Formats: sequence, C-alpha cells, structure tokens
Amino acid sequence: MIFLTLVLSTFREAVAKKIFLGFFAISTLIILIFLFLINVESVEGMVDMMGAAGDEGIRKLVIGFEVAMIDISYLLIITFCLISVSSFIPSMLEKGNIDLLLSKPISRTNIILAKFTGGVMLVFFSLVYLIGFVWIILSSKSGFWHFPFLYTILWLTLSFAIIYSLIIFIGLVSQSTILSILVSFFLVFIVCPILYVREATIFSLVENNVVQFIINFFYYILPKPSDINKITTNIITGEEVSSYMPVFSSVLFMLAVLSASVFYFKKKDY
Amino acid sequence: MSIITTKNLSKEYSSKSFSKEKILALNNFSFEVESGEIFGILGPNGAGKTTLIKILLGITHRTKGEVKIFDNEINTEAYKMKVGYLPENHKFPNYLNGEQVMQFYGKMSGMSSADVRKKTDELLKLVDMEKWRKTKIKKYSKGMLQRLGLAQAMINDPELIFLDEPTDGVDPIGRKEIRDILEDLKERGKTIFLNSHLLSEVELICDRVAIMHKGSLVKSGRVDEITHISDNYIINCSDVSEVIMNKLMMNFKATILSINEFHFKTDNIDELNRLIDFMRQNNILIRGIQREKNTLENMFINLIGSQN
Ligand SMILES: Nc1ncnc2c1ncn2[C@@H]1O[C@H](COP(=O)(O)OP(=O)(O)OP(=O)(O)O)[C@@H](O)[C@H]1O
Ligand SMILES: [Mg+2]
Repeated sequence: MIFLTLVLSTFREAVAKKIFLGFFAISTLIILIFLFLINVESVEGMVDMMGAAGDEGIRKLVIGFEVAMIDISYLLIITFCLISVSSFIPSMLEKGNIDLLLSKPISRTNIILAKFTGGVMLVFFSLVYLIGFVWIILSSKSGFWHFPFLYTILWLTLSFAIIYSLIIFIGLVSQSTILSILVSFFLVFIVCPILYVREATIFSLVENNVVQFIINFFYYILPKPSDINKITTNIITGEEVSSYMPVFSSVLFMLAVLSASVFYFKKKDY
Repeated sequence: MSIITTKNLSKEYSSKSFSKEKILALNNFSFEVESGEIFGILGPNGAGKTTLIKILLGITHRTKGEVKIFDNEINTEAYKMKVGYLPENHKFPNYLNGEQVMQFYGKMSGMSSADVRKKTDELLKLVDMEKWRKTKIKKYSKGMLQRLGLAQAMINDPELIFLDEPTDGVDPIGRKEIRDILEDLKERGKTIFLNSHLLSEVELICDRVAIMHKGSLVKSGRVDEITHISDNYIINCSDVSEVIMNKLMMNFKATILSINEFHFKTDNIDELNRLIDFMRQNNILIRGIQREKNTLENMFINLIGSQN
C-alpha cells in the first residue's frame, strides 16, 4: 500500500513536469498522422496495389510501418521519458523532502524500487498508448492483425528500464538531474551505437588485440539497447534471432546497477 | 517511564568528500525523554540539534552509542508507524495542494484512504488551513507551509512527535495557536520532542529542556528549576535625594542603579514592606516593584558564553 502510494506519486510528478506531456502530445500527433494517412487516396491506392500482390504484399507494407515505428518510439522514449524521469531522484533527495520520506514506514530498498517501478510503469503505459493505437489503426485498415508488433511495447520498456537504472544510480550519487541526462544520452546515443557496430568500424581500423579486447570488454558489460532494438525488429519481421546474449547481459547490468543504488542509498546520511 | 533513552550517542560527519577531516556533530550525548512530556532541545546554530532528531528517526546513521525508543529498533516499520516528524525547512512536492500533501503523507504512513480523509479534514481545521486546502502549496506563505507541516506531522495520530523549529516563520498569533495545539496533544498523552531557537517560547511550553553546545549536553532539567525565581527586587520610584540614597544603602543594603531605580535583595517579605514604609514616610512615590526572574534566555547566554 505504502509502496503503491510512492509508485503513483511518480506518475503525478511526471505529469506535473510538463516534459512528459510533450511525449503524449507527440504520440497523439503520430497517431493522428496515421489516421490521416490511411484515409488518403494515394495510400489507399498503395494498399490496393499491394493487396493485388496478395496477402504477402499487405504483410510487407504493415511490417515496414511497424519497423519504422520501433525507431520512432525508441527515440521518443529516450528523449522525452528519460528527461522527465531523470529528475525523480534528485528532487526526492532535496533537503526537507528526503528527511520526511525516510521517517515513513518504508525501507530504503523499497523507496528505490518504488521509484524504479513508477518510472518503468509510466513508460509502459505510454507505449501501450502509442504502439497500441498505431497497431489498431494499421490492423483495422489492412485487415492483417499482426500480434508480434505488440511485443515492441515490452522490448522498448525493457530498454528503458535498463537505462533508467543507470539514471537512478547517477542521480543518487551526484544529486544532479543534468548529469544524469548527459551521461545517459552519451551512453545511448554515442557509446552504445559505436560499440554495436564496433566490428565494422573500429576493428577494421585498429587491429591491436589489446585494444579490441578492451572494446569488447566494454561492449559486454555495458547495456546494449541497439542490439535489443535489432532483436525487436527481427521478431517483428520474423527473422531468426541469432543470440539473446545482449538481452541477458543488459538485464544483468540493470540488476547490478540497481543493487549498487540500493547499497549506496542505505549507507548514506541525509 | 522514559520513551527515548540514548547513551553516549556520537556522530561524526566527514567535512568534505575525499577528506579525512571529521565534524563531531554529536559527542557522547546521553539523555532521556519521559512519556507524555514536552521536551525541548536548545542550542546555538550548528550545535547538533537537527542531527540528534535525524538519528532518532533513522535518517542519519549514528557513529556510536545506543538508542532505545519505545522498545523498537529505530529502523523498523513498527516504530515509524508510531512517530510524526516536521523537518526543518521542509519541502513538500510543490505541485500538490494542501489536501493532497496530507493525503500523500498519510498514505505513506500506512493509513487507509478513509482514515486519511477523516484526519485531513480534522487537522486542516485545527491548524486553520481549511480555506487553503485546494490551493497549490507553491502559493503558500512560509507560515502557512509551517502550519501544514505541523498538521502533516500529526496525520497518523503518532505517540511521539519530533518537531524541528515548529514555529519558524509563524506570526505571534499563529505561534500561540501552535502552542495550544501542542498543549492539547500533551493532554492526550502524546510525547513531544522539539527544537527551537525561540527561548521564551520553549520556556512557555516545555516541561524539560536540554541545552546543547558543539554536540555535547551542557545542562538539562525542568524548566521551572532552571529558570528559578530569584530574591532580587527591582524598585522604580520618583527621584530620591542623596541623604535617602545613603540611608537605603546603609540600612537596607540596596544597590543604587540611578536616581530613581535600585535593587533590593531579601528572602523576607517583612523586610521588603519595611523598605516600602520607609520610602512612603519620606514621600517617595513608588512606580513599580518587580521580582527579577532568571529567564531561560539569560541562563542560555551565560552558559553558552562561558563555554566559548
Ligand atoms: N550532512 C552533513 N554532512 C556534513 N556535516 C553536517 C551534515 N549535517 C550537519 N552537519 C554538521 O553537523 C553540525 C550540526 O548540524 P545540525 O544541523 O545538527 O545543527 P543544528 O543544531 O540543527 O543547527 P541550526 O540551529 O542552525 O538548525 C554542523 O556543524 C553541521 O555543519
Ligand atoms: Mg537545525
């Protein structure tokens, strides 16, 4: 009950910080664009044309849209949601707020878990709204009800949860919203994408084994949102997923960072 | 029966990150708080008052020493269900309104929604914040926030309430109201532990006080014992002649302060009346006779002054 109150308060906080509303506005815009598109003559013509090529044609078209949606949603989640949750921990730690919270009958472990759960649920529901609507629009128009697309909600939520765990840790240690945003953006937009394509880029330039080993080392311990997106795409297009290692290692990273957060939070004086 | 007992409680903060230097915020602090009393901690800025409260609530960890409160460990849910807390400079989420603040902290104290609603109505009325309940707290004045903070500290009907500077920023009428609320809580058998700078106020309300300085206990005891009434009288009168002045000094051992004011020390009320008779016979107008009181403030300033 106390746990739930804290989880729900994170919802309220996200809404109070207007950034999160930006996510809803843009999601709604995307949904409206989809609604508009499927009623436009030329697109109808395209659907008819693809339909003429049989079910397979419509299938390809729908899946094409869906794969594009993965990247769009990922970008939206990372920018809007990550920015809006990154102030959760620093604002909780403000003097006069944290004192009172810690005097309440809830353990420090549960406070961290409630903040984590709140942020993850926030993103889950946002994705249900965005992906869910797009799916309904696509499916009802095409008549092709492609259920695997809905898994995107879970995969993107997972990607978010992994990065969010790091945001929590940095927020606890630095008590700085800006630093949390900077580090996570640096990781998500620069480090992870480079590590993801390390074989095609860095390794073709640097042949030194030691350097390659170090880069591989970082690749394996750091979270791998780019790989998870690739896996999601593969699942939707029906291609075979070669390895789930990126998922397991990223989840391991998340658990380790969360444990470190709890450990740090328990020790600290406020 | 004592509710809080501490033995040799100490707290060291590291002064800077990455530095070995330590600040001793509490130094072998031992004291007891009795059930049902209003207990006040006094001390200059940085004495360690807030640190003490935070340790008693498990917000800060003690470096060494023992604490016993009720019969619980500090960091248990059972203990925290029984206490209320008003932090100094509290900061509630400012997107909430008064009512929502009460509801949030009520639920965070493990209360049911129905109980929270009932208590919220009752307490907002008690602290005279009813007409502001739907207003966002970012529009509150300092005194209004403090009233809400006090109501919040009482939401779970706690046995023991910690108040860090409860009347900070509250006007004189509001302070009187807060004192009445605290008296009422005491009558209902609650124990109140408070920090304050306002010595006159502590004097009015506390049963017992502890004075601390640089983390150590300097003096503790009942307020009426610490601020005992002296047997020194201050007498104001019309201007007196030199002859009379000499007689007052010779016959009554009075200390002359000026041509119309002197001090007279006696523990015998007949002596005092003889002095009055003498003055009246010599046609001196008496403007006022006052018995000097050793206020908490005098006492505090003397004590802390002698420590520095
Ligand atoms: N988190 C902290 N880290 C380091 N030092 C601290 C911390 N909190 C308090 N201190 C130090 O501990 C000492 C006692 O501080 P405390 O806040 O308990 O004083 P106080 O008696 O409440 O003062 P005031 O009357 O100004 O509120 C001070 O020297 C302060 O600098
Ligand atoms: Mg203080």
